[in-house]
Amino acid sequence: MVLRTPRRLRAALAVAAVSGILLAGPAGLTTSAGAASPSTKSGTTLSVAMDSSGVDTLNPFLAYFNGSLDLFGAIYPSLTTIDQSGKPSPYLATSWNVSPDHLTWTFKIRDGLKWSDGQPLTAEDAAWTFHLIMTDEIAGTANGTLVSGFQSVTAPDPTTLVIRTKQPQSNLNYVSIPVEGIPIVPEHIWKSHVADLKDYKNDSYPVVGYGPWTLTGYKTGQYATLDANKSFVLGAPKYDHLIEQLYKTSDSAVAALRSGQLDYIPGGVINSTEFKSLTHVTGVDTAQTVGNGWTGLEINPGAKSRSGKPIGTGNPALSDPRLRRAIALSIDKQTLVKKVVDGYGTVGEGYLPPAWSQWVWKPSAGERQGYDPARANQLLDKAGYKRGSDGIRIDPKTGKPLDLRLGIHSDDATDASIAPYLAGWLKAIGIKVKLEPMSMSALNSDLGKGDWDMLMDAWTTGPDPTYLLGIQSCATLPNDQGNGGNTDAFFCDPAYDKLQARQQSLFDPAQRVKVVGQMQQILYDADVDVMLYNQTQKTASSSKVTGERVGKPDAQGFYPAQNSFWTYLKATPVEHGGSSSSGGLGIGLGIAAAVIVVGAGAVVLRRRAGADDRE
Amino acid sequence: MSSPDAVAEPALEVPLSAPKPRRSLRTAWGGYLVGKLAAAVVSFAVTLVIGFVLFNVMPSDPVRTMTRGRPVSQAQLAQLRVQLGLDKPMWQRFLDFVNDTLHGRLGYSWEYRQSVASLAMNRLGPTLLLMGTSFAISVLLGLWLGQRSGWRAGSRFDRITSSTALTLWSVPTFWLGMILLMVCSVGIGPIHGFLPVGGMSDPTLPQTGMTHYVDVAKHLVLPALTMVLVVYAQYVTIMRSSIIEEKGSPYLLTARAKGLTDDAVRRRHALPNALLPSVTMIFMHLGTLISGAVTVEAVFSWPGLGDLTYEALKIPDLPLLQGTFIVFSASVIIMNLLADLAYRFLDPRVRAQ
Repeated sequence: MVLRTPRRLRAALAVAAVSGILLAGPAGLTTSAGAASPSTKSGTTLSVAMDSSGVDTLNPFLAYFNGSLDLFGAIYPSLTTIDQSGKPSPYLATSWNVSPDHLTWTFKIRDGLKWSDGQPLTAEDAAWTFHLIMTDEIAGTANGTLVSGFQSVTAPDPTTLVIRTKQPQSNLNYVSIPVEGIPIVPEHIWKSHVADLKDYKNDSYPVVGYGPWTLTGYKTGQYATLDANKSFVLGAPKYDHLIEQLYKTSDSAVAALRSGQLDYIPGGVINSTEFKSLTHVTGVDTAQTVGNGWTGLEINPGAKSRSGKPIGTGNPALSDPRLRRAIALSIDKQTLVKKVVDGYGTVGEGYLPPAWSQWVWKPSAGERQGYDPARANQLLDKAGYKRGSDGIRIDPKTGKPLDLRLGIHSDDATDASIAPYLAGWLKAIGIKVKLEPMSMSALNSDLGKGDWDMLMDAWTTGPDPTYLLGIQSCATLPNDQGNGGNTDAFFCDPAYDKLQARQQSLFDPAQRVKVVGQMQQILYDADVDVMLYNQTQKTASSSKVTGERVGKPDAQGFYPAQNSFWTYLKATPVEHGGSSSSGGLGIGLGIAAAVIVVGAGAVVLRRRAGADDRE
Repeated sequence: MSSPDAVAEPALEVPLSAPKPRRSLRTAWGGYLVGKLAAAVVSFAVTLVIGFVLFNVMPSDPVRTMTRGRPVSQAQLAQLRVQLGLDKPMWQRFLDFVNDTLHGRLGYSWEYRQSVASLAMNRLGPTLLLMGTSFAISVLLGLWLGQRSGWRAGSRFDRITSSTALTLWSVPTFWLGMILLMVCSVGIGPIHGFLPVGGMSDPTLPQTGMTHYVDVAKHLVLPALTMVLVVYAQYVTIMRSSIIEEKGSPYLLTARAKGLTDDAVRRRHALPNALLPSVTMIFMHLGTLISGAVTVEAVFSWPGLGDLTYEALKIPDLPLLQGTFIVFSASVIIMNLLADLAYRFLDPRVRAQ
């Protein structure tokens, strides 16, 4: 019995191992969601890195993740698109006008367009989509806010769309744009899914839509495959196929680009170090685009609920604007740009990022708060914050030393490199800083409840600044229990709110710019959101691709902000053959590796060592 | 479960159950089985409570994290909270969770808007393929190297094997993965990259048939190799030390005295007894296979369960976390139960107790 054990055990082990592999094999190879169309084999293929957030759902009424939004921009139409200067331009709508009372918008919709299944695409599809989002709670999950000002939407005929708004709303031609705005879906397909909208996955391929591309397949957590729409109204894509591949780390995306398995990495994926390393690689082109977001430091001005009740555990000293100003003056933004983002960025000033040039506001020379620790110290001395024996200043109101918490995102490398600088600069003006690394979710939770002193924060925005300006208004404060808010930093100023309402109803662009400038002035002076820097977006592409960067570089060599809709539409192959895929050598090596593995296993199982008597 | 000490085993032919009537043996088996089953059920229940509490006491604002960067109004956030059941008190959420679990439902993921079961099923295949392959290779390689180096402890073979294994064991997984990626995918100097950087298949190839299988195998080489290199050392060390322990046993002397070759003594006598501790470890590791390997999956963009759990943690997507947690814990508990049963079957000393 004992004698038989080893053989039996060995056999059992071998069987277990083999069956494990066999079981896993077929299971592992089943395609989760519709197989990619085999048509990707002929013609040219553009491979791009998907936004690392990936795809949460292919249902455009429910999706929040950037990976999904990029796909919708490619496969569903919108009313307007954004041209290179950041202004709305024709897409489904060829022209639009506003009634004298500024409440009725009439869009002229193109005639003769067809969905990918041959059904006509008319104003009725657009009206149906908007109407569903306005009236159905589930359909409004992702984009309900964008239509919250709509009174009614009608399509009196196939080429006319009429939208009436409750209040004058100057940003209406930004509501349905590719990627950031509302995608318009085919009514004849979606009508039957209104009842089960919450569970509808939208994964029968090819997905019926209209855009530069058609979605032919999506493999969960891996890639999406798309085919070009050769009759696209704004010009046919230059590639026959598009693949959006998900790389979980920026390192692997860079490796894929260097080895020729990827053609393009959009902005927001790679960091400064990776970008720098790519600038020396032959066969790779790198370019920066103007920053479309900011990285900032939030200072809790004394969190209050909507009814004015103080909430949270913020340090009360920070409600003193002089202390907040001193903190702002103690920060050397120039150094942060140089050291944290390797110079790939600009010093932060106005609240709206440089990418959308029409909204950019800069403080006048006299009002600029540069790096000035001496002045910061003077301010604090004058305000009565005396230094204790350890050099830390005492809050005259409470008698406690100024000891502030700084919440940073634990999964963000830039936060980690900024924090020590801030701690050092604040120590120089007599403020002690305690670093608190947290998950994004924990940080958001503390933020919403007012349980914070200072937080690192970052936002990006599309061409319409309304929402980003909105998160600084009193209306976004939470209720008395600290729930239901979506405020960015508990900033609340009635004067600011008045201007916010006004800018939304101004139809003269110059006037609107002026009001938005005044709002940014108020934010700048309040020192609640201190803009540290505006990082440029770093893109990298294979030199086999050209035309993927739209617009002309500025004096610093920065391109205008890019949008995936135009990038994938304009990208052109330089020579024949799209993305390279490793050839026979790789397959051979793969087989060789498999053979070695199996062989080694066999050897282990069968090995009979020679007799080698001891003693 | 500790490995039994080297109790000198009664020589070869243990009259195992000779005089015992069959029934009492069955009763003993039955009692043992019931006891172990009850213990498994209890530990599963405890795990459920711990899992729920852990995920729910994490300070978090899933709704704001999910909608981050999208223009979402307060009204919508409030609506979303109600939709996700975040407005319910904790005890009610716990009861819902227990009820769901008992009914075999795994909840509904907040971020992916589909049932956790369907999400996990999508990811199960890739995870088992990667983990199963690397596990099988690690076990075979580790046990084989371990028993040979243990038998010749101190020899050059032993020194090289053990130090290599221990060095690789102490290397950070993601770092080793990145290095392999740089060498084999990108290429360094004269070496040209010859393997895919990430993912599980090449979208430009047909997704069926032989071509597809070869393509998947190619994508599997690097992640599986990384896993093997990092984990095989555990089997080497445990096997090596058990062989060394068995080496001085009297029953081996008996075997040698019978004139068996050194190799036969090792294979037929020392190895079966030395394998016992490894069996425990193999079963324990089998239980954890299903949870995938977050770091390897991240480096090689492998669409597995480890990666899914990591994504869920960011939000945090509580139903998805709880669902995968149940699956992972159940898997570990079942495997431990099997290890106990197998042990009783393999080791007469356990039966005799």
